[in-house]
Amino acid sequence: MNNLKIVQQFTKKSVFLVLLLFFSLSSFLSVTPRLFAADVSGEQTKASEGAASGVELPQFEAGQQPAAPQLAEGQPAAGAGTATAAIEEEELAPVQYRTFFGMDSRTVVWIVSELHLMFAAFVLGVPIFAVIVEIVGFKGGDVKYDKMAKEFTKLLSAAFATTASLGGLLGFCLFGLYPEFMGHMTNVFSPTMYVYALMFFGEAFTLYGYYYSWDILKGTAAKKWFHIFLGVMLNLFGTGLMFLTNSWATYMMSPAGIVPATGKLVSLYHAIYNPLWMPVNIHRLIANVCFGGFVVGAYAAVKFLGAKSDEERAHYDWMGYVGNFIGVGALIPLPFAGYWLGREVYSSSPVMGNIMMGGAFSWTFIIQAILIGMLFIGANYYLWLGMGRIKGSERYTKFFKYLIFIIFMCFAVWLTPHNLPLSGEERAMIGEQYHPFSKYFGVMAAKNAVVNLIILATFFSFLIYRRSNKGEMAPFSEQGKVGKIGIFSGLIFCLLMLVSYAISLNFVELEENIKVFVKPLVRSLYIQSFAVCLAAFLTFKNKGKLGQALLFAVTASIAVLYFWYYGFQVMQKANLVLRYLSVTQVSIVMSCLIMNAIIDIFMFRKAKLVGGIVWGKMPVRSQYALLLLCVVIVILMGLMGFIRSGLRMDWHIYGVLQDTSQWAYTPALSYMGRIVGLIVVLFLGLVAFVFWLANLGETKEKGVLKEEFELTEPHREHYT
Amino acid sequence: MANKRSAFLLIWVITAVGCLYGFLKYASPKIFQILMAKDHPMPTPSTLMMWYMIMGVLAGLVYATTSNQKFVDFLSFLLPGHGPLIKSFLQKILFIGFPLLVGWFVYTWAIPGAASPVELRIQHPTLPQDFEKLENPFRQADAETQRKCIEEGKILFQTYCRPCHGSKADGNGPFANSFRLRPINFQDPGTIATVVDNYLFWRIKEGGPGLPSESTPWDSAMPSWKDDLKDDEVWKIIMGEYDTAGVMPRQREKLE
Repeated sequence: MNNLKIVQQFTKKSVFLVLLLFFSLSSFLSVTPRLFAADVSGEQTKASEGAASGVELPQFEAGQQPAAPQLAEGQPAAGAGTATAAIEEEELAPVQYRTFFGMDSRTVVWIVSELHLMFAAFVLGVPIFAVIVEIVGFKGGDVKYDKMAKEFTKLLSAAFATTASLGGLLGFCLFGLYPEFMGHMTNVFSPTMYVYALMFFGEAFTLYGYYYSWDILKGTAAKKWFHIFLGVMLNLFGTGLMFLTNSWATYMMSPAGIVPATGKLVSLYHAIYNPLWMPVNIHRLIANVCFGGFVVGAYAAVKFLGAKSDEERAHYDWMGYVGNFIGVGALIPLPFAGYWLGREVYSSSPVMGNIMMGGAFSWTFIIQAILIGMLFIGANYYLWLGMGRIKGSERYTKFFKYLIFIIFMCFAVWLTPHNLPLSGEERAMIGEQYHPFSKYFGVMAAKNAVVNLIILATFFSFLIYRRSNKGEMAPFSEQGKVGKIGIFSGLIFCLLMLVSYAISLNFVELEENIKVFVKPLVRSLYIQSFAVCLAAFLTFKNKGKLGQALLFAVTASIAVLYFWYYGFQVMQKANLVLRYLSVTQVSIVMSCLIMNAIIDIFMFRKAKLVGGIVWGKMPVRSQYALLLLCVVIVILMGLMGFIRSGLRMDWHIYGVLQDTSQWAYTPALSYMGRIVGLIVVLFLGLVAFVFWLANLGETKEKGVLKEEFELTEPHREHYT
Repeated sequence: MANKRSAFLLIWVITAVGCLYGFLKYASPKIFQILMAKDHPMPTPSTLMMWYMIMGVLAGLVYATTSNQKFVDFLSFLLPGHGPLIKSFLQKILFIGFPLLVGWFVYTWAIPGAASPVELRIQHPTLPQDFEKLENPFRQADAETQRKCIEEGKILFQTYCRPCHGSKADGNGPFANSFRLRPINFQDPGTIATVVDNYLFWRIKEGGPGLPSESTPWDSAMPSWKDDLKDDEVWKIIMGEYDTAGVMPRQREKLE
């Protein structure tokens, strides 16, 4: 029995152990309401038992401080008269908080939950693209894709047990350290917890079924499709799990479905589908794919750096490229999803919105801007370096300096804060509140504009990358029906998106003096629709490149330059229109990305190859760029986790259940930095250990790589 | 063999970074002075200067390392070898100038001097929960009543707020120059237009003394008006203030 099998068996056993622990916890949960019922007053218990339509929760009122402050474990309630009464009180006193061996409970929960989230993000993100890669390999007949998908899944199965273990630990920490809060959560969400457990079963079975049946379900198309079906089910279970837990987390930020004054549950549906649930779902779904892509990229980079042969280098270079491609692909829509989430946070509570963007958390968003800027720069840098291994790419390297200029300029605007750190002397010399740089760069209108330009520039980098080894194009008439249908489908999709939104804007319910600000948005959408049509028309006339350039120019003019200026106008006069402006901006940029990508695919479909791609011929610094991307996204996730959770300030459940513990304060930035740093180090250390475990039996399989690359050499185009 | 231009890549990068420094240090203050019709230059704050310069250097390094050939060209400038006379001259300048530049930086940072500390400012202090749900009672009134409230509010604004915030709500009141941190220009779209009007209600009622403990120390000379003005008067002042400044308050949005 080799080491791999030992590790796999160990992993399987540990998963079942975790499942056992989880169901023990679930049994405990089913008893918990009764335990908590004993903690609250007798009247409340009766009311709770008697409530037919909902669950009566402990009394909490918005904005009202609970009568008793913190009751630590074993501490008698105030006012106990005699010794006997004191003992009775002590026995009956509801325990609000406990400590973790004298440590700060909040920090313990913070670290454990963030680590759990990071592993969960990996475990949920990687199957999405593992299945896609498997399908691509299956349809294209390239065994290399299949092998890579399997390698992804191998990492997944190793990380899954750790995720589950951390999830169990988090559950114990929460129930142990925050019993009153978890009592409330259990009362509201207990039915979903059973569903969660069932889905966890589903995920565990499909994951292990998916991984261990890889070689068995080969040979016939039916078998392979069944294997892919298992992968799809794995994704569905994983996504379902995430959606459920998101409902708990977002309920804490924007509680719904309860009577705020009493905490009585009136609608479980609304408690789940609270205002922030769907924005967080979408944001996390995309972010998980991005996270998974960059972590896989770092894994490939480490393997590349330690590779002993050219075949290994080629394999892991290619894997790193795919990881980066997936990471960047998901990174591009992420700011849109993040902006939507931010807006909904503001809509659910203007206080939270103000704290987030202009208040106590505003500086964390500057750090976020730096990290996101580093992600875009790192991803582009890797692409540019990657062009060095493609013969024919020399034709496009002249664009690098312009792209660098644009991206760094945008980065500069992106991180410029509205309120600058100023000394007294500087303040006196400037003579007013805002320096022009911060006045014009520091507000959302400017930041939305530049982030869209960064996205367009990154997309342009991708276009020149994929064109690098392609030479003379075949006339569009030779593309046949597929080409025409492809372009036409893209055109219809973009037009539907743009025109339907333009029409819907005519019917928004706003006061007349505000509605006039919507008209330029409608006009912009129609202009973009025309530009998309023109690009398609030019493609049909064998002038696709001109069409693409035109579309880029129109998009940048409207979504970046014009909306930068117009955003200020709207901010000043009609802030309600900002919501429509941002959607218009996103729609215009997305239509450009979609249409230009489709044109590029069909324009170069039968183009002559200038040269091949020499996989493995990458400078070492490119691999460090991949490592940097991984570290940055892990820090980013840690930071954003802090922001999302910290926005509740001193509330467990915002406006409903106040945090009266001694840790109910917003940590200072330096403390946050230390804890997030610790989490990042712990996660990277753990993930390195888990991947090392997963690869213990690798030596036996190494010989396969050479065979794969030799076998698939004729399918060079598949690499691109 | 690198061509003549790429052999001087290091110099080009240094020149570009130098130009950026010159722009931020000397050109931008003058440009903003002209564009904003000020009687004094608008110096680039040191924090921004540092950030932008770091980014400039980073951009240069990224460009110089986008291919192996460029990287070699970039570094090989420092190596001795045959080349035009100008290369040899620039090398000497670089070898003498770079240590001097580092020395100058170290000297200017280390030399004892007095300067006020740089403050990390938060734009919007956290609005207490008690004020979050408040609604301006006059916003829902009919147009005539609203007009009347705005006019009354403008008079109250000129009475109580003008000395600091100015008659046009542009932060240029007669007392404005006496503050270390000048009163905010409400005409700027990044100020009161970004907050709901109950935020202003809280700031007027509680003033500087009522600012929360988070993100302290605050730098606000705003007095508390809760003992001098009635709630109705404060709401009217807010309406008059927005009207005077020519901006609209942020409006609550419906959740999608």
